[in-house]
Amino acid sequence: MAIEKNYGNPQLEEKLRDRYFYTDDSNPEFLANVEKIGRTIAHMCFQCGTCTGSCPSAPRSSYRIRLFVRRAVLGLEDEALTDPDLWLCTTCYSCTDRCPRDIAPTDIIMAMRNLAFKRDIVPRNFLKTAQLIYTTGHGVPNNDVNRAAREKLGLTRDPPTTHGYPEFIPGIQKILDYYKLKENADRILAEEGQ
Amino acid sequence: MSGNMHQYAFFLGCIAPNRYPGCEAAAIKTSQRVGIELLPLKGGSCCPAPGAFGSIDLNVWYAMAARNVVLAEQMNMDIALICNGCYKSIFEVNHILKHNDELRDGVNEVLKEIDMEYKGSIDVWHLAELYYDPAICGVDKIRASITRPLTGTKIAVHYGCHLMKPKKERHFGDTENPMWIEELVDALGAESVQYRNKMQCCGAGGGVRGYDLTHSLDITNEKMINLREVGADALTEVCPFCQLQYDRGQIEIKEKFGIDYGLPVLHYNELLGLAQGMSPQELALDLHAIDCKPFLEKIL
Ligand code: SF4
Ligand code: SF4
Repeated sequence: MAIEKNYGNPQLEEKLRDRYFYTDDSNPEFLANVEKIGRTIAHMCFQCGTCTGSCPSAPRSSYRIRLFVRRAVLGLEDEALTDPDLWLCTTCYSCTDRCPRDIAPTDIIMAMRNLAFKRDIVPRNFLKTAQLIYTTGHGVPNNDVNRAAREKLGLTRDPPTTHGYPEFIPGIQKILDYYKLKENADRILAEEGQ
Repeated sequence: MSGNMHQYAFFLGCIAPNRYPGCEAAAIKTSQRVGIELLPLKGGSCCPAPGAFGSIDLNVWYAMAARNVVLAEQMNMDIALICNGCYKSIFEVNHILKHNDELRDGVNEVLKEIDMEYKGSIDVWHLAELYYDPAICGVDKIRASITRPLTGTKIAVHYGCHLMKPKKERHFGDTENPMWIEELVDALGAESVQYRNKMQCCGAGGGVRGYDLTHSLDITNEKMINLREVGADALTEVCPFCQLQYDRGQIEIKEKFGIDYGLPVLHYNELLGLAQGMSPQELALDLHAIDCKPFLEKIL
């Protein structure tokens, strides 16, 4: 809802009603948080639409990057973070290279996703990738078919990564634990019985 | 330095070693023939996946990528890698941490727990840019290394997103219509071809492939339509994740949309390997989902 201006004059209220600039579900901190996490200057957006026009996800969905930038500026945190379209950005950075205001809309999306994760809003496959890295160091781990193929190529069956040197895995686990990533991933997936 | 070889710590990532090991084998062998030696970066992990990890928590992404950089710092060597996703993580985090004290201090606080420190003492390169750089290798040297020219083949290039974009945090210049990988393709005796919307994303990134496969494949399908229009014999790229999206993606497109393209997809290192006389077996091309035979028949 738009905030009432209380001029005490219904005609003026009607004429000057601002539906979008200031609403009671707007969080003034949101823009600052997005700008800090994304290292961007979202408030400089003049809504030209170059970003949406460059976006490979726009023509095949309701996802509009320009709308998300506007939501950042208006502080519409709930609306932005709960919109499933938030996860349709391929992070191709076309909008970022073309934005005439040098705003890096892609990084606005990344910042919003970080904020969404703090509310447990996150695609489940992201969490599973995190779990795999915790146990193996790899998001896409090796398998037996591939091991056999590697051997035929004259490569070691396991690559010289954390696969070949598992003694490095505890260090990785310490980093992920520092940010409670595994803990949160496990909890969110468990709450859904996965 | 051994002899006059340029040495690099070879960061593997996940998809090359664990899904397309031919890319790894090809990189090691082809680079050797042009004066580049790739040494194993022991204990490297996932870069980590910029889409999944960056989206969850950028701080974890910085710290995990920094750990991989530190392994190379300990070898006192620049990193070379063969995947655009890895480039995004490893190059960009290195770049950010070199220029942002606050983030670097944050990362080092975490790394202290595992007795590591990020110093910012090395640089990160994609092998393709090293091939193109005349100070390291250059197109002429690539051309001179060829024993089996890919004459008579039309090859389209997919640059991918994360190698060159965002351009203000890179050093490649134009991202609207670059031509340097075409030069590398032409050096193999092939004819590089242009197609509509060349710089469009493959559709896999940002976690979208895992989040909404149909959406992701629809982007890939648009690329496939544009590639078919110009009659390319093969598509080449410099990113195993793009490769996976085009290669396995064509099978998924067939299942979901009922369209069969059958376009062979080869990493530039695999293509270079073929042109340097490596056999399809030495490149494990049989692991590709799309049969490379129609392309191979033109050159073998
Ligand atoms: S291109 Fe930049 S200035 Fe234009 S609408 Fe998008 S974010 Fe705003
Ligand atoms: S980075 Fe995301 S929002 Fe920007 S053009 Fe690409 S898919 Fe669209």
